[in-house]
Amino acid sequence: MYSSTIYTVGMGIRPMQEATFLILTALADGSKHGYGIISQVAGISGGRVRLRAGTLYTALDRLRADGLIDVDREEIVDNRLRRYYRLTPEGGRRLAAEAVRLQANATAALTRLNPGLGVI
Amino acid sequence: MNQSAQLERAYRRLVACYPRSFRRENEEEIVTVLLATARQGQRRPGIGESADLIRGALRMRIGLSRAPRTVLNAVRLMYLGALAELGVLLTLVLTEGSIRAAVIHRNPGVTMAQVNQLNGLFTFETVGCAVVTAVWLWLAWGNGKGYALARVVAIVSFAIATAGIIGNMADGAELYAPAAVIASGVVWVIGLGAVVLLLQKQSSPHFTRHAPS
Repeated sequence: MYSSTIYTVGMGIRPMQEATFLILTALADGSKHGYGIISQVAGISGGRVRLRAGTLYTALDRLRADGLIDVDREEIVDNRLRRYYRLTPEGGRRLAAEAVRLQANATAALTRLNPGLGVI
Repeated sequence: MNQSAQLERAYRRLVACYPRSFRRENEEEIVTVLLATARQGQRRPGIGESADLIRGALRMRIGLSRAPRTVLNAVRLMYLGALAELGVLLTLVLTEGSIRAAVIHRNPGVTMAQVNQLNGLFTFETVGCAVVTAVWLWLAWGNGKGYALARVVAIVSFAIATAGIIGNMADGAELYAPAAVIASGVVWVIGLGAVVLLLQKQSSPHFTRHAPS
């Protein structure tokens, strides 16, 4: 399978773009359709990141090509198509690796900011 | 036509910018999401969402939506190279008359054969610039799409151009005007940057997608 180097550099993991990280996070607890992903991403980011449709579907297309997400099912609601996307096992692994990386960086920053108090 | 139908039609016109294969699979879904995220009473797409859709469509059409950052930057440099070459082409076309007049003015004894030779040189340079501009554009398109052949052609073209520049300089660097040397140098540096980016490890998977299995 083709694997994009958007995410990997050499032997390590390259940082994900924030939108990619948030989309994968939105799918971590179950499949969602496009509008559901936009709502979840807005919620997770506290309203800071509001994905537009063009950005979302370009990202979904790339993530599907990279095997990180897949189509779960399709439904017709009010004569409109709803396609649900889910995280693949590889997508789950990449998301977990990125979360660990971000957490390690955050811990290091907070430890240095508060040397006497340790991690908040 | 009611507001919702009017808005949907406008969205479909924007989504029509995407490649046909992408639209076939995603158009209905994108339009559904666009309508779901539209404001109450909205009659036409906003500037931001229109720009977002057009940008996504453009990136998808030139194959960059799945390209790693290194390839993305290499393709940008190639478009810059095409632009620089186009600048040289325009300068040649716009200044051809005045250069010819200046040559004749400085050399009153110039023969008709020499004038014809000069005209031939201008034609050769103009056609050459147009061809090189087209090659830059093709390389940008092909590398963006991930065609392995385009990457090979880019590297080989750069090697040939480098050898040509070294050869010309060795033959008679004093014959070149400083502006011509600077222009060649700038285009060469753009080419070098693009080739270095294409040879990065991160770029390789982008080109294996179109390689024969």
